Amino acid sequence: MNRSLVVDVLFWCFAAGSVVTGYLVFRTDSMVRAAFWLLASFVGVGAILVLLAAEFLGVVLILMMAGEMLIMAVVMVMFMMNPAGLNPMFMVHQHRFAVAAGVVSFAGLSVVALTADFPDQPVDASVDATAELGFELLGDSMLVFQTAGVALLATMIGAIALASRNGRFGTSDEGSREPALEIEELESP
Amino acid sequence: MRAYLEPGAAVGAVAVAMAVGVYVVAVIDGTAGRLAGGTGRSDLGAVLLDPLRTVAVLATQRRRRTERPDAPGWALAPGLLGGLAATGLAVVPVGPGAAVADPSTGFVVFATAIAFVMIAVFLHGWSPNSLFPLIGAYRYGAQALSLQIPFLLAMLATALPAESLAVMDIVQAQEDLWNVVRQPLGLPIYLMVGIGVSFWGPLNLPDGADLVGGTSAEDAGTDRLAWELARAAMLFAIASMGAAAFLGGWWGPLLPGPAWMALKTLFLLVVMVGSRHLVARVRIEPFVVACWAVFIPLALVNIFVSGALLL
Repeated sequence: MNRSLVVDVLFWCFAAGSVVTGYLVFRTDSMVRAAFWLLASFVGVGAILVLLAAEFLGVVLILMMAGEMLIMAVVMVMFMMNPAGLNPMFMVHQHRFAVAAGVVSFAGLSVVALTADFPDQPVDASVDATAELGFELLGDSMLVFQTAGVALLATMIGAIALASRNGRFGTSDEGSREPALEIEELESP
Repeated sequence: MRAYLEPGAAVGAVAVAMAVGVYVVAVIDGTAGRLAGGTGRSDLGAVLLDPLRTVAVLATQRRRRTERPDAPGWALAPGLLGGLAATGLAVVPVGPGAAVADPSTGFVVFATAIAFVMIAVFLHGWSPNSLFPLIGAYRYGAQALSLQIPFLLAMLATALPAESLAVMDIVQAQEDLWNVVRQPLGLPIYLMVGIGVSFWGPLNLPDGADLVGGTSAEDAGTDRLAWELARAAMLFAIASMGAAAFLGGWWGPLLPGPAWMALKTLFLLVVMVGSRHLVARVRIEPFVVACWAVFIPLALVNIFVSGALLL
């Protein structure tokens, strides 16, 4: 088999895999399963980026999604009354709005996909896309890159400050607990 | 384009490397246990045969079932962990121009494999629908999320002198000076993270004895065998990457490159596997605090110093 045929077959496999797992996100009955199906869907998209010779972007997408989906699963389970996340539960809400939003965004993206004038020059195999991306980010786009970097750093520091161990009712490593109700006040005449 | 092995040869090479690595981990673990305990038979034959005996016992042991588990997830977790170890191993070069795969983003591929270990361990603890494995899974979530940033920063510093994300270039750049000398903070951070990621010894918090086995509490027979094999393979992948990224990989006098690579990997394996018998297990709460408050700043210092030396 020649190389482009292999790439084509892989593309259709990853594309179909992404669509099917993306569909399964809404058909499953558990938050953890939904998060992991979504992760599988993103891995397919990352693999397609790799096939498009955007190797760095594809691998970094997969790298980032692993952490993000785990955080999402943990946070979702944390805020629900279903600590294990294995009990069956209904994963879809607001049916009519969701259907309408889905149809509108599908139509919009289809219009863009069919009418936009995408560049179609294949990249020369000798080009190191990762190095090119680095020069692009740190050359002409330096200001944007720096601004985004500082914004992200501020967000990280803020998130760590918010999630630090000094909670409202004591430090987290001692088991932060709400104090009991003050009984004396209630009993006083 | 950078070098890749043919698919068939690549699978064979990685499989052989993993089999040898897992066996070596088991032998080191047995030897360290005997030395640290000072009891039991200490003849060489027993040390070499014990791993095979353990495999035979686990392979014939009856598997366990829990009530309403997520069976696909439970079956997938050890396979995923083993596959990640294979992915990590594939990008580690053993000699100049000799690697299973040498993508220009080899460093990122390895980091991605390490990040996905979180998914494998969480899935492994969550799927059995049982209390202790679930607690283990959440513990590993906390542990691994805290480890990711120090790991990435420590690894990233090694890419600076090479001015490349390809592991081959990272090793090539250590011809005159190994990264362990250039970045003395890097290797200790990397080893700490490596032990944590492969949840071994002092950082075996998700599968620890205090959780009656944690995520593998409900595993028996082939389930446990597959999990233990994958865990040891992960340790081997981390040790070999540590040898390549910090100890100069194939560089060394007299011996050929692959021999140096094997010796350095063995040295790191002895340090990491031995930690199980020499260092007490830490508690998860102080460990997570230490990761965010100590190791991230240290890794940042490491990367700033490495960057300043290059300017």
